[in-house]
Amino acid sequence: MRPTRFFLNFCLVFTAVWITLIIGLPAEAQDKENCLMCHKYRYLGRIDENGKQFNYNVDEHFFAGSVHRNIACRECHASIKKIPHDPVTEDVNCANACHLKPPHSQEKFSHTKIIDIYSQSAHAVRPEDPPEVKAAKPNCKFCHLNPLYTRVEEKLIDYEKTLQRCLNCHEQKGVTVAYMHVTHRLRKKTSRSPQQIVQLCSKCHDDREMMKKINVSEEALLAVETYNRSIHGKSIALGSEMTADCISCHASNALHDIYKKDNVKATIHKDNLMTTCRQCHEQTNSWFIKIAVHPRIEREKNPIVYFASIFFRLALYGSLFSMVGLMAVETYGRRKDGVKFLLRRGTAWRGNPKNR
Amino acid sequence: MSNPSEAMAVPDQRADAEEYYTHVEGVGNIPRDIYKYVTSDPLGDLPRYSVHIVIQHFLVVVTFLVLVLTGLPLYYSDLFWAPHLISMFGGADTARIVHRVAAFLMIFTCLYHVITIVGGTARKLLKNQFDYKRTQIPVPKDLFDLIHDMKYFFGLAPYRPKMEKFMYKQKLHYLAIIWGNTVLITAGAALLFPDLMAKIFPETLARLLPAAGKSAGSFPAFFQELARLMHADEAVMALLVISFWHLLNVHFVPGRFPFQWAFLTGKITREHQIEEHFLEYIRNLEEIPEEKEYMKNLLKEKGFSKPASVSIADLSRIH
Repeated sequence: MRPTRFFLNFCLVFTAVWITLIIGLPAEAQDKENCLMCHKYRYLGRIDENGKQFNYNVDEHFFAGSVHRNIACRECHASIKKIPHDPVTEDVNCANACHLKPPHSQEKFSHTKIIDIYSQSAHAVRPEDPPEVKAAKPNCKFCHLNPLYTRVEEKLIDYEKTLQRCLNCHEQKGVTVAYMHVTHRLRKKTSRSPQQIVQLCSKCHDDREMMKKINVSEEALLAVETYNRSIHGKSIALGSEMTADCISCHASNALHDIYKKDNVKATIHKDNLMTTCRQCHEQTNSWFIKIAVHPRIEREKNPIVYFASIFFRLALYGSLFSMVGLMAVETYGRRKDGVKFLLRRGTAWRGNPKNR
Repeated sequence: MSNPSEAMAVPDQRADAEEYYTHVEGVGNIPRDIYKYVTSDPLGDLPRYSVHIVIQHFLVVVTFLVLVLTGLPLYYSDLFWAPHLISMFGGADTARIVHRVAAFLMIFTCLYHVITIVGGTARKLLKNQFDYKRTQIPVPKDLFDLIHDMKYFFGLAPYRPKMEKFMYKQKLHYLAIIWGNTVLITAGAALLFPDLMAKIFPETLARLLPAAGKSAGSFPAFFQELARLMHADEAVMALLVISFWHLLNVHFVPGRFPFQWAFLTGKITREHQIEEHFLEYIRNLEEIPEEKEYMKNLLKEKGFSKPASVSIADLSRIH
């Protein structure tokens, strides 16, 4: 009796433990100042003088699942000094040093370093830019919207590169140790899937009107279209995780250092192409980097390939239709000869009087 | 002429007796349209393909289907069915590996085929049995056969041409396969090893033609773009020709429907052999005693046994 009872008890405890683990506890967001007391209401919002509607609702569960869950609201929304607060006029500044401290050092966390990289890139707003260009350029929040922070399985990158990514924001001290704990989350170049990256970049770069307004080159104007037609783009469209997306080639591990082609710092500058391509194509040589990544078959630029494509198309339809035509004529002629469709009782020419 | 049986009653009086009858020693005079009177086993009566060819055909069918199913969604990636089809192969990244494995197997099959053909030819040469007429080698006769056949189909010629083991259609298809495989393998290799191919082509060209070496900078992009174009185009062409011509031609046309077993049994039906490969059938008569016996009895039974060695000059004397 005893062993049975022991076994049953064991099963009970075991099941209870596992049920608890599987159900888990709901995620909790950092809300020390109880902002959610008001902001939890779904229709909290206002309509301004122009009739534009604003919704100030914060979905607690969604926020608790975002990367910023451990940061108190006022650490980013720093302009709020009292509760209930006055209408907010100031935008969130991602360069704020928030109170979050990584376990391995005493530095306050901030996105300043990455903002420095960004502000040198092609996407940063410059004083000399015309107003329409200024309006078109994306700031942090344009790309980094919380809705895009979902978990994805992605191409893994090696240790060195992962560590480099930590150093984008953190100091080197202690990072290596901390890396051990978060490796499963960091061994990817981005926290987004390649499909999301392409989608994100296409949002502006596929908008021809907008791109024309800011006077980009013809190559840049067609960049999304030509990419989608390339082998990289097609693989990504079918859900590949290993193929190059936009930032695989256009940015280094700092991710925000996107420059125009003629800038020496650009990953796609002709001196840096070798390193950039070598990320995936290990045997990259000086010939290989001359291959067009955004292929365009045009009569003026590429006459031989253009006419070859027409020739192949003609050959395809020509041979297909002549062959099918031959088959049709043949069938007509042989039917006239007396052939039946089925080979039955040893012959397909059943209609023949001598054959009965 | 419209009723063949009437013409058959007085065979020796035919004005086209020379063309209509083929005299085989020990069998008799075989009329050109005897294929309408023979009995055939649907599984095949006469040898056509060796077991190696049957295996190679099977391998090609399987690898071709896999290659098409994994390659086509990539070419038409923006169409609605592409993601569903590719997910059947485990997504784009797995399908890529499946495609390469299938391609490797297909290249292996090509090599196997070349070895079979070269080995078989060498053996026949040693035994002094080699006859280029029984091979896939295209000859001018094929063109004349095509014209003759077209005439026949439109009712301008009385009989189909007397053709060898491989008729014009088959030779054309075989040549197309050689060309297609060469293009697909070369262009496919250029897509799989872009770095290597980018180097090999321009460097070889620059070495062969030093004058072209100066502008070699644009070659890698050019060859790669050509490879992208040719691989896809040739593949789509192969698929269309296979599905709308080859498949229909071997299984769905009258007399072959619903299924021709030759690709599994390696044998061809008697009526098909006589209709489309008459000269090969005459060789079969000489090689296979049973077939000779069968034909002799058939001719006797159907009333073709009378010798027809009557020349046109004799016709007036008979009447």
